[in-house]
Amino acid sequence: MKSKIAIGIGVVGIMLALAACSGSPSTSASSGKVDLTVWTGFTGGDRPGYAQIVTDFNASHPNIHVTMTVQPWDTIQQKLPSAWLTGQGPDLATPSSDPNAVAQYVKTNSVLPITNTGPGSTQINVDKLAPGTVKEFTYNNKLYAVPANFATLSLYYNKKAFAAAGISGPPTTVAEFAADAKKLTIGGGQTQYGLALADNQTIQMWPILQWLEGGDIVDSKNCSVVQTAAGQKSLKTWSDMVVNDKISPVGLTGAEADSLFSAGKAAMEMNGPWAAPGYKAAGIDLGIATIPVGVNGKVTLGATAPLSISAKTKYPAQAQEFLAYWTSKSVQQKFSLSTGFPPLRTDLSDDPKLKTDPVVSVFAAQVPDSRLYLPGVPNATQVDANGYVPLIGEITRGQSVAGSSAAIGATINGLTGCKS
Amino acid sequence: MSAAVTHPESSRLSRGGSGATKGRRVYKRRLSPALLFMAPSAIILGAFVFWPIIQSLYYSFFNWTIGAVDQQWVGFGNYIELFHDPRFWNALGVTLIFTISTVAIVVVIGFMVALLLLRETLITRIIRSVFFFPTIVSLVSIGLVWKFLLDPSIGLVGGLTQLLGITPVAWLQSTHLALPSVIFVAVWRNVGFAMVLFVAGLKGVPVERYEAARLDGANDRQVTAFVTLPSIRPTLLFTTLILTIQSFQVFDLVYVMTGGGPLFVTDSLVNELYREGFVNFRTGYASAISWVLFAIIMIISALQLRFFRYNDVD
Repeated sequence: MKSKIAIGIGVVGIMLALAACSGSPSTSASSGKVDLTVWTGFTGGDRPGYAQIVTDFNASHPNIHVTMTVQPWDTIQQKLPSAWLTGQGPDLATPSSDPNAVAQYVKTNSVLPITNTGPGSTQINVDKLAPGTVKEFTYNNKLYAVPANFATLSLYYNKKAFAAAGISGPPTTVAEFAADAKKLTIGGGQTQYGLALADNQTIQMWPILQWLEGGDIVDSKNCSVVQTAAGQKSLKTWSDMVVNDKISPVGLTGAEADSLFSAGKAAMEMNGPWAAPGYKAAGIDLGIATIPVGVNGKVTLGATAPLSISAKTKYPAQAQEFLAYWTSKSVQQKFSLSTGFPPLRTDLSDDPKLKTDPVVSVFAAQVPDSRLYLPGVPNATQVDANGYVPLIGEITRGQSVAGSSAAIGATINGLTGCKS
Repeated sequence: MSAAVTHPESSRLSRGGSGATKGRRVYKRRLSPALLFMAPSAIILGAFVFWPIIQSLYYSFFNWTIGAVDQQWVGFGNYIELFHDPRFWNALGVTLIFTISTVAIVVVIGFMVALLLLRETLITRIIRSVFFFPTIVSLVSIGLVWKFLLDPSIGLVGGLTQLLGITPVAWLQSTHLALPSVIFVAVWRNVGFAMVLFVAGLKGVPVERYEAARLDGANDRQVTAFVTLPSIRPTLLFTTLILTIQSFQVFDLVYVMTGGGPLFVTDSLVNELYREGFVNFRTGYASAISWVLFAIIMIISALQLRFFRYNDVD
C-alpha cells in the first residue's frame, strides 16, 4: 500500500515537472477571435506612442486582439532566437534596435517574407515607406520586416547654457558647431562640457561627426575608409577636441550621455526624438535644432527598428494586417504627433500638422539627408563592436589616429570580407 | 533436504534470516519509492542542467547557429579559432586577474573581519548583518548602484571628491581604473559572505587548542598561523573554492557596470561568451568558450583541493 502511495506521489511529481516544462501557445483562436502577441524593446519615452497604436488597432479590429509586451532590447536578443525556433515565441517582434540584426533571422528562416504589399487600406504600402528602410529589410528580393519607426538624430541644446556663454542660437555649420562646443566647455569639463558624446552602448553619434567633416566608415564595396586621409581627418578633428579641449567626457555610454545632459552638465547632445520627454522632465531649458551643415552638405544619422513576423505564426494574414495598420498614413501621423518621431512614410513629409509641430518638424526635416549606420554591411554588428567602438575609444584616449585607424581598418575589412 | 546436504553454502544463506536475497528484496522495496521521489528533481535537473551541458559540448563542434537549417561540422575548429583569438586571451587574462584579486582580498579581509567580530554581542551581530547584507542583493542591482555612485559627473563619489577640491575620477571610463573598480565592488559584495563562513569555522575550533598553544608560549601570530588557520582548513577550502568558481563566472557585474569596456579591459570570459552567443549569434563558438571555461574551473578546483590537502577527514 505504502509503495502504491509512493508511486502515486512520484507520478504526480513527474506530471508537475512535465507541466513546468511545457509552455502555453503564443496564439490562440477562441470565438473566432485571433490573438496576436508582439514583443518590442521600446522602453523609452516613445513607449506610449506604440501602446496607442496597439490600443487603436484592437478597438478597430474586433476579430484580432494584439497584446504587446515591452522588454529591454538585450532581453529580446537573448530570448527571441530560440523562442521563434521552438514556436513558443511571439507572432511579431522587433528583434533588435539594430536594423542589421534582421539578416541573422533571415539566415535561420525565422522570419516570414512579407507579401501583403500594395496600395490597399489593409496592405503594406512599401512604395510610401522611406526607401532606405525597405532596402535595409529586403534580402533576395523579399521584404522581411517593416520599419517600426524611423528616427533622425537632431541637436539638443541647453538654451540657458547658450545664453550664459553669449551664444545667440544653435550652430548652423560644422565650424560653428566645433567653436560652440569649445566655448561651452567650462573648467575643462568640471563645470560643464560643451557636448555629451557617447561612443558605446548607444546609437552612434560619431559617424555624424565624421560625415560632417567629409569622412566615412566603409565605402560602397564595404571596405574600410577610416584609415584614408579623409577618414583620418574627420576622426582627428573631433578626437583632438575631446582629448585637448575636453569638450566631452571620454567613454560615455548613451545612458550616461543622456544623464549628463539632463543634469545640465553638458550644453549639447545629438540624440533621437525619444530623448525629448526625459530632458523636459529633468527641467532642461530645451532647444532642438537640425544637425549643423557639414563640409559636403546636410547629413545626420537615421535609425530604424525592424518589425518582423515569426515564420511559425499561425496567423500570417492577420499579422500582416497589423503591420499594414501600423504603417498606415493616419496611424503614422498620430504616432509622429504624440512622440516627436518623423513619419516613416514619404507621403507625410508635407503634412501640415506635422510641419507645424515644433518637435516633429525638426526631426522630419532631416529625413531626406539621413543615412543609416553601416547599412547592408556584412557582419555590421561585429564591425561596430570589434571595429568602430574600439577605434573611437582609442583615439579619444589619446592614441594616434593614424595607427588606430590603420589597425581597425584591417579588422573592419576582415569582418566585411573586403578584398581590396 | 538434499539441497541442504549437497549445497552447504545455499543452506547457510537461507538459514541466515533470508540473508542477501531478503536484503536485496528490502533494498529494492526501499529503492523504488526513493527513485520515484527523486524523479521530479532528476527530470528537471536532467532537462534544464545536464542535457543543455551535453548539448553545448555537441554544439561546440559545429558552426552552430540557432535555427539554421544546416549546421556545419567543424570538429575542433571552434577550439582552434579560440586559441588564435586575441579577444579570448584578453578575456582569459581579465578573468584570471579578477578571480585572483577578488578571492585573495575577500578571503583575507573576510578572515580579519571574522576575527574582529567573533564575540557574541549585540553590536557584533549588527555589524555582521551589515557586512552580510550586500551578499543577498542581486549583482545587477549592485552593479547599477555602484555605476551611478562612481559616475564622475553626477555620482556621489565624484561629488564628494569635488567638495574636497579633488578632480572627480572617471573610474569606469579609465582603462587603468575600470577593472580595479569592478574588483572593488565584487570584494565589497563578497566580504560578508566570507566573514560569515569564517565566523562559523572559527567558532568550531576547540578552545583547548588555544589554551595548549598559549601554555607552550605561542604568541598571537603563531596562534593564528599554527592553530587557527589549520583548524579552519575545511572552511578556507570551501570559501576559496566557492569564490573562485563564482569569480570565474563573473558576468552580471561586468555587463552592468562596464559592458566589458572600456577597450575590453574588463571583458570577462562569460561576457565574451554572451557577446558571441547572443549578439553575434555564434552558438558553436560560444559553447566552445563555455567548455574551455569549464575545464579551467575543473583544473583550478582540483588544484585547490590538492593545495588544501583535502581528504575524507575534511
